[in-house]
Amino acid sequence: MEALPLSEPVLLILLSLAERPRHGYSILKNVEEVSDGRVRLSTGTLYGAIRRLLDGGWIERFKEDDSPRGRQAYRLTARGRQILRQEVSRMKQLTRVASLCMAPKET
Amino acid sequence: MLSLCRYLLYLYPTAHRLEYGEEMVAVLHERQAESWDSGVVARWVFWAREIAGLLCGALREHVLATTGLHSWVEFRLRRFSMRSEFRFPKATGWLMLVILAAVVMAIEKAKAISASLPDTHPYVGPIQPAQFSVIATFAVVFVAGCVIGAVGWAVLFALRRSGVQRLSELRLR
Repeated sequence: MEALPLSEPVLLILLSLAERPRHGYSILKNVEEVSDGRVRLSTGTLYGAIRRLLDGGWIERFKEDDSPRGRQAYRLTARGRQILRQEVSRMKQLTRVASLCMAPKET
Repeated sequence: MLSLCRYLLYLYPTAHRLEYGEEMVAVLHERQAESWDSGVVARWVFWAREIAGLLCGALREHVLATTGLHSWVEFRLRRFSMRSEFRFPKATGWLMLVILAAVVMAIEKAKAISASLPDTHPYVGPIQPAQFSVIATFAVVFVAGCVIGAVGWAVLFALRRSGVQRLSELRLR
């Protein structure tokens, strides 16, 4: 369970790439859409995260045949997908515990 | 604004700019086209966020390149766990204690010498505080800020030139 919990922007970036390979602009749009406009990443923040995710081997570059100049797609690696699964599992467990704690107690 | 952002990319380390600069400009271009549909205020908020993101990103990349924390994973872990090479050595604590004892002894010795000498000096009177004008004060603060900035930059530059940031990438056989 290394590097968990993930920060929200990183989690959303990984989730957007879990669906399919995406390029930078598509990641930004998807993150904004999935978070209902709550998380709006700047380009600088996105590419800082992308560089570190590439260095960590969580994502990799993906060659698109009809990719225009300046557009580079990224996709999750097996390692990235495993970490994402671990994080989702951790969050599920946390949600379950929270539901139990907050459920009205019968007297 | 897009031109300003292009210039801001020059604040990034060269390697980062060469690798991602073109992509970042392409994304900024697409976002700029998208922002034309929104209002004036929303457009200004958008550019403010982008500029702040680029400035913070450039600073972060320089710090990471200088300190050698190339991996984001490593960066996150290091916040919570100290690695052996960064532990505070015990010898430093003992050395500080010895220095403190030496300073206390020197002060006591000086007091003893002062008490043993006859009081032959005339009364000097209260010392008047120096008068500073506002402009002079600002000038001093500005110069001090410049000097501190230059020293900080020189330290970062020297560390980068020494190649210390690449030590973490070494693989021992």
